[in-house]
Amino acid sequence: MTALAHDTRPRRKRSNPALRALKSPLSGRIAFPLVCLAVWLVAIEIVTAVWPFAVDVLPRPSQVFSFMWDELTGDTLAPYNLYETFGISLKRLGIGMAIAMGIGTVIGLAMGLSKSVNAFFNDWVVAILAMPNLAWALFCSLAFGFGDVGPIVTVVLTGIPFVIINVREGVRNAPTDLYDMARAFGVSRSDSIRHVLLPSLMPFMFAAGRYAFALGWKGLVVAEVFGGEDGAGWTIKFWYDAHRAHGVIGYALFFVLFALLFEKFLLDRLSAYFFRWRPAVSSTDVVEELFEGPPSAATTASAVSDTTTAAQRSLTQVTAGPRSEREGGDDTRRTHDG
Amino acid sequence: MAEIKVRKLHKEFGAGEDRVVALEDVTLDISGHVFVSIVGASGCGKSTLLNILSGIETPTHGQVQITQDGRPAVKGYVFQAARLLPWRTVMDNLLFVQKDRSEETRARCQRYLEMVQLGDKGKKYPGELSGGMQQRVGIARAFSTEPDVLFMDEPFSHLDAITARSLRAELQDMWQETRKTVVFVTHDVGEAVELSNRILVFAKGGRMADDIDVSLPFPRDVADADVALTKANVFKTFENIGALAVS
Amino acid sequence: MTTVAASPPTTDGPRVSEEDRVRAARRRDRIRTIFWRLAGYAFFLGLWEFASGRLMDETLLPGPVDVFRTFGDLWASGKVPGAFADTLTRIGIGFAIAFVIGAAVGILMQNRWLSGFFRDAVTIGVTTPGLIWALITAIIFGNRPWGPLIAIVLTTFALISVNVAEGIKALPKDLIDMAKAFGVGVVRRNRQIVVPHLAPYLFTGVRFGFSIAWKVTVLTEVFASSSGIGFEMRTATQLFRMDEFLTWILAFYVFALFLEKVVLEVIERRFFAWRDTIKS
Repeated sequence: MTALAHDTRPRRKRSNPALRALKSPLSGRIAFPLVCLAVWLVAIEIVTAVWPFAVDVLPRPSQVFSFMWDELTGDTLAPYNLYETFGISLKRLGIGMAIAMGIGTVIGLAMGLSKSVNAFFNDWVVAILAMPNLAWALFCSLAFGFGDVGPIVTVVLTGIPFVIINVREGVRNAPTDLYDMARAFGVSRSDSIRHVLLPSLMPFMFAAGRYAFALGWKGLVVAEVFGGEDGAGWTIKFWYDAHRAHGVIGYALFFVLFALLFEKFLLDRLSAYFFRWRPAVSSTDVVEELFEGPPSAATTASAVSDTTTAAQRSLTQVTAGPRSEREGGDDTRRTHDG
Repeated sequence: MAEIKVRKLHKEFGAGEDRVVALEDVTLDISGHVFVSIVGASGCGKSTLLNILSGIETPTHGQVQITQDGRPAVKGYVFQAARLLPWRTVMDNLLFVQKDRSEETRARCQRYLEMVQLGDKGKKYPGELSGGMQQRVGIARAFSTEPDVLFMDEPFSHLDAITARSLRAELQDMWQETRKTVVFVTHDVGEAVELSNRILVFAKGGRMADDIDVSLPFPRDVADADVALTKANVFKTFENIGALAVS
Repeated sequence: MTTVAASPPTTDGPRVSEEDRVRAARRRDRIRTIFWRLAGYAFFLGLWEFASGRLMDETLLPGPVDVFRTFGDLWASGKVPGAFADTLTRIGIGFAIAFVIGAAVGILMQNRWLSGFFRDAVTIGVTTPGLIWALITAIIFGNRPWGPLIAIVLTTFALISVNVAEGIKALPKDLIDMAKAFGVGVVRRNRQIVVPHLAPYLFTGVRFGFSIAWKVTVLTEVFASSSGIGFEMRTATQLFRMDEFLTWILAFYVFALFLEKVVLEVIERRFFAWRDTIKS
């Protein structure tokens, strides 16, 4: 059959690149803050005009942004500036996290290795897990007064149950086939621990760290609100007490930025480094993974009726790293022994 | 010379109603430069026997003695799944099972990687390799300790036919070159005939049912008429003892 | 290496005792577990009691005995049901709204552009401490009822969105296509395929959304309410009545645990009984 003289295939319209850009999710993402801004301005007009008594104070975006700018340049009415404030809070968070990881790992290992130890601690871990951090914060602030101790203890108490649970899961998910392999080859015990046990625990320790950070941060803020004289939580309360709504909202935005920056840059970088051997590691954005990856262990948590592991998995959706990390040491890519 | 002595080896699990006999009073001798295949259907105890021989499992009763010229033998093992440490490079995986990490040892490991055509993959992680390549690393690892006895548990069963075939040829060459004792478990009779000079047939319930010598010359070609004939004979033996019955 | 194992069995009798041995071992295991569990309770409750008297001032940390006594008093005075009712109503309304909004966002996010649009909203919803919302709504709305409600919704909706979105993403398209090919109607398809598939996701969302919602509700009540458990807690701390404070938080906490573990888990077990059969 001879070739056609001219191509009669239906021609695809070359799509306008501008139009394509407008339809992309990225443009949606940019549209969001703009829409929020618009809604905010409209809301101010409507509320002040129609229901003047419905709100006590509704700041304008310009007020909030100029407040934030002042803070960023170090010009503030609060006793400490933005950088000092977050620095103090971060320091407390770091110490609390270190303690929570340290003690939590020991207890988690013990609970994973021994049924008796598990029986001893389990109900209490569940109990601490479900306790609202408000309770810890209030209690610590009253017990330890001002200063660093109250917030640090709160961080420890909020984070430790998640560390324990994750480490315990790590032990329970130990790769027995690799241990058998080491034993078949007569590898020494210390080498087995160094090269098999510890690396297999890393994903779980990492998840534990992520929880300790995310939840510890929330607990810390509450603790600083109720019982501090400095720090991020205290400062936002400062603006609240001073009845400066733009201060409260401005600082709240700083909180959001801080959490996003930290998760995205620090934790995801660390994750990429520690798990560079993983074939599936790709995206660095937590929420992005959630929506573009296949369904995770998180939502199949309903198959598990244990509140603790379900809590762990569910919250994993929101604070944990890439899906592959979430599945712990699961080497689904490799074939398994029959 | 390596010697494997097994006396009345017995392994069972569970108790009462749940009692399962994996191996029933197995007695056998293996020695020298031989390639022994253990063949049988699923559940006939061949993997259990291999695990006990390699020390991963302990028997319920019976004796096992594996020696090389009087001293305890050095053992190597190749698994069904490669069982590589995913968080270590290929070379580190080989080094993991060595007695030391000296320059000499490294060079030796590199030699074995080259023997399986993976000499340039030393710095890669297992996750970056295909299934066949991972299995070759596993083989290189087992050989690199220069064991007296090599145990292989259905190493090619998870691979596609083409890769498996080329790996079988590689294995045959390596065995010829290194002259060790190999104990090879498989459910594939054809594979056993192709590779080994002695076939142990196991039946359901962990009973050793037959001991067949395969004295065809090496290297063996699958397409060879003699090989095909031997295969047919072995199959007939199976049918006779009911070893192919499915549970 | 020489391996020598146990001697072979002598008669047929020992096989029976093997069975008994296994059963006895299992019973020992169970008893040991129960023992250590009780030991844990004894230890921690004892630690609390000890800490109360010796390590810390009794007024600062009342022991378990004091707390239970105070609970009895509070119950008798009738304050407890009132406060519980107020708080629970708030949680109910707030959670219901959060659920509707969260589900809507989750469904909307199936669209590419909208998923970009809502993405940051969900991230912010998930990472912002409920406290922040509580403070913001408190300063804007003061003591008016919709302040706490908005805070609850803002804190809770994101988790539900995530669950719903994942559930929809995971819809078994092959099953739905199969049903379409067989000419099964939309209603029946939804009932038999879509709903059972989504149910676990919704359930997870409800369970953890509720967990978050009740905690945030109490928090908002601390700042911006004149009723409810959070308010009672704030009053107790201001009057430095630590025993009352602990009583309130513990009472509510136990109640919430009851709701979470007993009620929801029972529903879950009944609803998802079919899944166990697949598992086994």
